[in-house]
Amino acid sequence: MGMDRDRRERESLPLRRVEFHILLSLAAGERHGYGIIQDIEARDEKAVPDVGTMYRALARMVENRLIEAAARRPAADAGDERRNYYRITDAGRRMARAEARRLEALTRAARIGGLLAKATK
Amino acid sequence: MRGDRLLDVSERWFRLLQRLYPADFRDEMGDAVVEAYRDRAREALNRGGIIRLAAVWVRALVDSLRNGPGERARPAASWRRRGNWGRDAELATRRLMRAPAFVVSTVATLGLGLGLSAVVYTVVQRVLIDPMPYRDPDDLYYVWRDYGAIADLKRGMLAGTDIVELQKAGGVIEQVVGLGRQLQTFAIGEGAEPIEIPVMFTSPGLFDLLGVAPAGRAFAADEEGPGASPVMVLTHELWNRLGADPEVIGRRVRLNNRPYQVIGVLPRGFVFARNESAGPPQRADAFIPFRVRLDEASPRDGSYAGLVRARRGTSPEQVAAAVEGVGRAVDRRDFDGRGLRLYPLGLKSDLVSGIRPALLALALGGVFLVLALLVNLASVLLARASQREQELAVSRALGASGAAIVRATLFEGALLGTGGGLAAALGAFWATRALLALAPLDLPRREAVVVDGRIAGVVIAAGTLIGLLAALAPATWAARASLSSLLASSAVRGGGGHGRLRRGMVVAQVAVSLVLLAAGGLVVRSFERLLRVDPGFRPEGILSFWVRMPPEFFPKIEDVIALQDRIEQELAALPGVSGASATSVLPLCPRPLPAFAAARAYQTTISFPGAPGNTGDADRDTPLADQIGARVTYLDVMGIRLLAGRPLDPARRDDVREALIDSALARQFFPTGSPLGAEVRIGDRTLTIVGVVRQARLYDIHQDGRPQIFVHADGYRPLAFVLRTGGDPRALIPDVRQAIRRIDPRLVAAEIRPMEELVDHSLRRQHISAVLLSAFALGALLLAAMGLYGVVAGAVMRRRHELALRLAVGADHRALLRLVLREGASLVTAGVLMGAPGIYFAGRVIRGVLLGVTPLDPLTLTSVAVGLGLVTMLACYVPARRVLGIDPAQLLRHE
Repeated sequence: MGMDRDRRERESLPLRRVEFHILLSLAAGERHGYGIIQDIEARDEKAVPDVGTMYRALARMVENRLIEAAARRPAADAGDERRNYYRITDAGRRMARAEARRLEALTRAARIGGLLAKATK
Repeated sequence: MRGDRLLDVSERWFRLLQRLYPADFRDEMGDAVVEAYRDRAREALNRGGIIRLAAVWVRALVDSLRNGPGERARPAASWRRRGNWGRDAELATRRLMRAPAFVVSTVATLGLGLGLSAVVYTVVQRVLIDPMPYRDPDDLYYVWRDYGAIADLKRGMLAGTDIVELQKAGGVIEQVVGLGRQLQTFAIGEGAEPIEIPVMFTSPGLFDLLGVAPAGRAFAADEEGPGASPVMVLTHELWNRLGADPEVIGRRVRLNNRPYQVIGVLPRGFVFARNESAGPPQRADAFIPFRVRLDEASPRDGSYAGLVRARRGTSPEQVAAAVEGVGRAVDRRDFDGRGLRLYPLGLKSDLVSGIRPALLALALGGVFLVLALLVNLASVLLARASQREQELAVSRALGASGAAIVRATLFEGALLGTGGGLAAALGAFWATRALLALAPLDLPRREAVVVDGRIAGVVIAAGTLIGLLAALAPATWAARASLSSLLASSAVRGGGGHGRLRRGMVVAQVAVSLVLLAAGGLVVRSFERLLRVDPGFRPEGILSFWVRMPPEFFPKIEDVIALQDRIEQELAALPGVSGASATSVLPLCPRPLPAFAAARAYQTTISFPGAPGNTGDADRDTPLADQIGARVTYLDVMGIRLLAGRPLDPARRDDVREALIDSALARQFFPTGSPLGAEVRIGDRTLTIVGVVRQARLYDIHQDGRPQIFVHADGYRPLAFVLRTGGDPRALIPDVRQAIRRIDPRLVAAEIRPMEELVDHSLRRQHISAVLLSAFALGALLLAAMGLYGVVAGAVMRRRHELALRLAVGADHRALLRLVLREGASLVTAGVLMGAPGIYFAGRVIRGVLLGVTPLDPLTLTSVAVGLGLVTMLACYVPARRVLGIDPAQLLRHE
């Protein structure tokens, strides 16, 4: 089982950028779709995903059980209109962590290889 | 204010863009996407006004153009392309859950129709197919005597001597038991309240022959005959009724005031009934060994049924040869070789031969209904699939595999079918119980008719199969749906390839419902004729019951006569009773009660010495007649018609012996003159004919039975008393019980039933066939009407442009209506032509259950055709009226 899961995680990596962002946002708490976009904008990301791209990713990730739909409820930032909220699953959290480790390893390799400046302590 | 309007317009734009996404994504995410865009638009408007808003609009367009088709090509749920049964199921379920009305109506239709068929299936399976619950039931045979040579009796009881000869035969005949049956007065102990129970008299080997072991023990071989100690085995049912005493074995009970010892109780649910020479098999509550010596019985006294177990693996022909061999020996010895035959009939075929034609007709009806359901479900699924035509074509064009679409459609069908099957199994479970309450009392093996796990499984599996088969048509069609075919047929949207398929289905539905309607119509008509039949007496307001006046209590004939007088008097004096009388044989429940001691034979040969109708042929001149003992007021109370002469004389004189004969006898023997005053001989007695009556039918309500001769009931026992009242006969029951007990506490009023109930029972088989078959027929008609409605509605929709054009160039609405109706009518005509030969074959199948109606009864078939035409044309007309609403100007402007 465990091995199986590991393999599945490895095969799914790397995550798409938008997917990683979604997991990142949801790791901090439940969000609705536009909230996630705002999070990404706040992260100073240059290419903010389109709404359609976002929701296709959300749909895909629900299918793959990385995230799940939470209760629909009023959103404070949308004039209290009701919004669909999402939350991260354990699998999603594992996946995000695995992706972060992968990126970290790559970054480290890039530093060692001289592509990037050494991190300042 | 202006901002809000801009936001509303934006929202409309975003919603429009959603069209670029596939339907299921839209269903799931559409609202959220629009909301997100709305949030974004609001923010843009607040920050940068209309310019920024316009940028959001453009961005949304670009986004949707990219992601919409992208989602179609590679759906978020990629299994929609890759294929995965579990996910397909999930998709199908979800799609169904979004259409609860569709699911409920489909499952209900299927459940109802399949449930009806399941009830019939249950009965057929249990009654015709399942083996009898005895050891090696295929080796069991009933033996009957064909009196053909001397009397018109093909299926007669055996004499005790026949049983003994069969037992001596050996060879392939392994074991033989005789079976007699009588009502007896049973009391659980001295002084306990007596009850009347049917008791089976039998050879000791009965239980061994059937392969059943009573709790306690079975009869021993030496417990038969006059000298043996009296022992009794109870059915589980009687034991329960007596209070389920666990200490019952060994207990002394009384039967006809004689002590018997209970030695065993039969297992729960064990049922054994004696097949009768006429009428339904009869059960018993208790079994006792013969108290008489069978080999000393008169060879002419046919009182016993013979049950034979053949050696294992013996063919029916061998058994027949052996039994006929014994029959020839008996014929030579006892009947001077006049040609009386013995012949065996397999236990089960003997039991079900009467009900088989009706059940087969119903089974065929059930099969047809299932076919109609199948076609209906297929066309419903096809219609549903065609609503998604565009979506299907686009996803096909973008690479979704045909297999996935087929799978999803099949799954939807299977799911609906299984749901319908479940509903049907549940419904059948209750319906069979209701049916049994209604079923004719003579339905053989009625106790076995229950829906168990196996039958429910078959029904549910049938539902699933129907669903799968029905989904096959839309599935193959959907798999073929392609963008090019869609574009090609875009002018006739909603038409496409499935139109022809659906029209074909409607034709099939009309054909099926025509056949079912014809069959149902014939059976209903036959039943209706039956209802109007005159049984030869007036059953309304009559209460009947039996009183045994056993010789154990009343040894002298004079006492019996006095008792009869007294009972009749007391009954007539009851409040609300306008008349009371008694007979030895009640109409419609011929109970051959060949008593062992006193009573005279009930079927008897008679002759009319010197009558002009005698032919000289001895067999023809001595017909077998039903001899009915009647008290003088019997004709009057029962409403039996006296056609000539007078009733029996109330004065009882030893030298006066009177008889009434029925009109058939009068016609046969006195074709020209009057039979009144002529003589009739019954055995060694000569009686004078004083009247001619119309038969009060004993066997079938719709036709006369054997000739009847009425004589004084003096000394006959038991007697059936009849009371006439103006009110509800049932209201008299307590008074009757009380009156009988008051007259003599040892007497019991048994089998108290209103005469109308007996009439009702004799009609039940036809009644149920009529109800079930017409339900099948109406169900099929409804399905056909639904199919037609759908097709015509679809046609109007599909052709609305063409129709609008016709209007625009001058046609009026009525002409269009005719045009559309003509399409429906052509389908109906095709269906009728297809179904017409089916009527012929259906007629052959149901011929056995039709009474007084030919399978091609023109009146019935015409009304069926007219009814079918009316209903189907109505089903066309209602949707066709939509053409009246077509406004060419508006419709064509949209083009």
